[in-house]
Amino acid sequence: MKKFLGNKTAIAIFTLPALLLYTIMVFYPIMQTFFRSLYEWDGLTAGTFIWFDNYKNLFDDSVFYTSLYNGLIFAAIITVTQIGIASILAFVIADGVVKGRRLLRISYFIPVVLSITVVCQLWLSIYNGQYGLMNKLFEILGIHYQQDWLSSSKSAIIAVAFVNAWQYMGYHFALILAGVRSVPEQYMEAARIDGATKLQAIRKIMIPMMAETYKFCLVFAVTGGLNAFANMYIMTGGGPGTSTYTLTYLMYRSAFRVGEFGYGSAAAAMLVIECLLATLIINRLVARERITY
Amino acid sequence: MAWLIKKVRQNNLPVTGFMWLYAILSVYPLIWMIFYSLKNNDEIFVTNPFGFPTHLRFENYSNAWSKYNVPVYFMNSVIVAGATVIGAIVLSVMFSYAAARLQWRLRGIAHTYIMIGMFIPIQVIMIPLAILVRDFHLANTYGALIVPYIAFNLSFTSIVFYGFFRSIPNELEESACIDGASIYRTFFSIMLPIIKPALATMVIFIFLNSWNEFTMAVILITKESLKTLPLGLLFFQGQFTTDWGAMGAAMTIASLPTVLIYMLFSEQVENALTVGSAVKG
Amino acid sequence: MKKVATALAGLSLVFVSACGSAGNNTDTAAKETNAGSPAATEAAAATTAAPEKAVKLRIYAQYSDDDTKLPYDYAVAELKKEMPNVELELEVQAQDDGQKLKTYAATGNLPDIYQAGTDIINTFKKSGNILELDKFADLYDFKSKMYPSTMNTLISEDGHIYAYPYAGNEFMLLYYNKELFEKNNVKVPTTYDELMTAVQTFNKAGITPLSLFAKEKWPTVALYDVFATRTEPQGILKLQSGGASPSDPAYKQATEELYKLIQAGLLPKGATNLNFDQAASLFYEGKAAMFLNGQWEIATSTEKLGDKVGWMYFPAADAASYEKNKYAFVGGGNPGGYAVNPDTKDPELAAKVAAFISLKYAEFKYTERGNPMVATKVDKPIVKEYPPMMKQLSEDISKVTSTTAFDWGLSDAKFKAAIEDATQVLMTGGYSVDEFIKDVTKAIPNGK
Repeated sequence: MKKFLGNKTAIAIFTLPALLLYTIMVFYPIMQTFFRSLYEWDGLTAGTFIWFDNYKNLFDDSVFYTSLYNGLIFAAIITVTQIGIASILAFVIADGVVKGRRLLRISYFIPVVLSITVVCQLWLSIYNGQYGLMNKLFEILGIHYQQDWLSSSKSAIIAVAFVNAWQYMGYHFALILAGVRSVPEQYMEAARIDGATKLQAIRKIMIPMMAETYKFCLVFAVTGGLNAFANMYIMTGGGPGTSTYTLTYLMYRSAFRVGEFGYGSAAAAMLVIECLLATLIINRLVARERITY
Repeated sequence: MAWLIKKVRQNNLPVTGFMWLYAILSVYPLIWMIFYSLKNNDEIFVTNPFGFPTHLRFENYSNAWSKYNVPVYFMNSVIVAGATVIGAIVLSVMFSYAAARLQWRLRGIAHTYIMIGMFIPIQVIMIPLAILVRDFHLANTYGALIVPYIAFNLSFTSIVFYGFFRSIPNELEESACIDGASIYRTFFSIMLPIIKPALATMVIFIFLNSWNEFTMAVILITKESLKTLPLGLLFFQGQFTTDWGAMGAAMTIASLPTVLIYMLFSEQVENALTVGSAVKG
Repeated sequence: MKKVATALAGLSLVFVSACGSAGNNTDTAAKETNAGSPAATEAAAATTAAPEKAVKLRIYAQYSDDDTKLPYDYAVAELKKEMPNVELELEVQAQDDGQKLKTYAATGNLPDIYQAGTDIINTFKKSGNILELDKFADLYDFKSKMYPSTMNTLISEDGHIYAYPYAGNEFMLLYYNKELFEKNNVKVPTTYDELMTAVQTFNKAGITPLSLFAKEKWPTVALYDVFATRTEPQGILKLQSGGASPSDPAYKQATEELYKLIQAGLLPKGATNLNFDQAASLFYEGKAAMFLNGQWEIATSTEKLGDKVGWMYFPAADAASYEKNKYAFVGGGNPGGYAVNPDTKDPELAAKVAAFISLKYAEFKYTERGNPMVATKVDKPIVKEYPPMMKQLSEDISKVTSTTAFDWGLSDAKFKAAIEDATQVLMTGGYSVDEFIKDVTKAIPNGK
């Protein structure tokens, strides 16, 4: 068995094509980013090597901390809502209780299919302070919570994060549904015989068995949140002011609007490190042991 | 899981209600987009942002259609997305099988290494990437998009497959080994069928990613005959003013096919799921 | 009509004095306009008479709405007559902060001709991605066709020429809907107090006082500049150069007044999320009483609102400073236009095409788009008559005492980014005057 699974030729055939392409097209540019973060560089000239000055300046820049904070908020919001809602929907669909499952399943995925530009335009109208649906909804419910969702420095990042959370919930829904389907029926059957309720069965059997699924959903949501960019680029332009900046946005502004590519690269390097840390933490937290049946 | 049905039936109504309400919330943007594509700027922004258009402006479509060669852009999108799906699926499924199931010393590191691609937003590495595309003489070929698209889809696709491969019981390989099957046969005839649900899901994901991709396409493609559908949007966004209705039409032209393709494919997913669990059961 | 146009086109350069140069007066400028062209055109035609073999040039230019498409199409059609052997392959410019152009430069794939603004010129001249055009300045008599007043759009800060401009000096104007002012019995404000009264009255009547597309950051900078220039005519330029600090009384007072008005509801709800089309829609639909935009807005506003629309001088702290700074205009010109890739096969030919396209681009704007604020003199008659607001502007041109710059004309990218961010937050009202001053001060290069 060991020989069977340790077949060196097979390992090389399976892994080398992917590793080669990835190293050249993805990893090498990332290394360039790290390298360039040590330069004062405008993106085109040779640049000057300045050791860690970009990082020093970064740590003195209040926008860096705003960006860091926004990335965390964004990640937290999309992780909780996407995985939470996706799990509920997936468990109910898998359950077969509700009629019209096919239609429902297709519907949940539609926001993912649409381009992010369309979805952001829709939500811009929904959040609009004058005619937006959000304020109308509060009006109908009789709650006095009407506001300019995207114009307040405090609420803007949350509002933008919810748009992303809502649009890409479908991804997690599809993944979790596929995960649920992969749990062999006899385990749930065994739980039923033991007299567990449905919720207990899901909590005690289903979710632990889906640890791997949840692991990549978490990584996907958290890193997606930390390097969020497109939503703010379309909806707020990073504003008002710098209040919806993320590290990616900071990098974009520094590199392309201010012409400080080196500084932008430092912000990007911090982002990679942050994502790496988050991933390692997720791997620690989610049960490591290999599930055996 | 049929046993659960009885217990749930009492509180079926609120659950059903929630499920359908959420479905409506999810489908509304599609309808909204179609409405939007039939309005003009005043209606979109001030007079009627959410409702049915007061006057159906089909001229937005003829306008969009006349600005760029829609059939050519469409074909390019199909070619690029199709090739990306095949390339990314093949490479990542092979890689993640080896990382998840085969035994070699660096597999943990390799898995983390390939994950790093998810941590970096494309804007950050656009310039080095464009230089690579030039140096490999990919510029002005479909490869200018296909190769980077495959590379950037590897990370996510691999960790998903990795997760699925890790959940498969060891006994399967053991019995295959005992039966004298080679590792390649085991991979093709035992492992791949089991992760079919994941395969079908990832086909859809990668297809959508490359179909809607704009950032790389706008920078890496210069030749008119190679442009993909999202680039059509460029014709409507001015420095100050934008023809939002025609842009809506362009977005509808680009998105409707994907919605249809998704509906077709999701059927395949469902089929694949049934087959998958049958193998396992 | 021709006279008005000429006066306008000659746009005064009196206001250049703000940037330190001596004031010319409009009359001379106007005369020069008339003198310019027939001879020049002939000469130009002669130089290109010989037939040459077919050449294909790549060009990267704005091409999305009528204001960019029609002039471009016209210029290309004219080019066909002038140089039938040259074929242009257009790439539509993306609204991406120069990302695409910079990537092209990094990969050595720059188009032969491209539109460059201040930011691109400043970056590319350091990296050698833009051809210095000094020796080609007189192709098609380009330089002699420039108005003395628009020389600032041709010659960069370092004294060299990098692009053939088509846009001249342009201004921010405060447009207003006369009908709304009359109906609500509001006096057209000349002081901040009157402006405050107007804001309160309009808000009571459910009308947005001032529509601003503050999702784009440059209009927010311009609004701040409007207030700053009421006491310090050099406005943001003086801040950029380090000659003044945002905490100086003139600037601080401007910030405070603006802050008060915003708190009172000067801007529409969610202004920082309004794009141009939304903000303009509010004004065109009669839902906003005032609208701040460049003079290029005159044509569309007139088309939408007819004789209901006018523009007013900016209100100031009191009657005296209102009068004193009535003609201290906000806006200006900056180097930019069609530039040439130094690696193009035949630099002279590319420069020729670039110069020609710029001239024709300006010509079309002038004759057909009702926009006389172009860089070069045009000797063709006007096809589309100028609306009254343009006539009024033309009468004032000679009186202009100073101008500043548009946000995109600021040469210090860091200062530009910082003041953009700070003024935009100021528009939300959730930002104190002191925080604003602190954040802008930090970004001033030689700041105290």
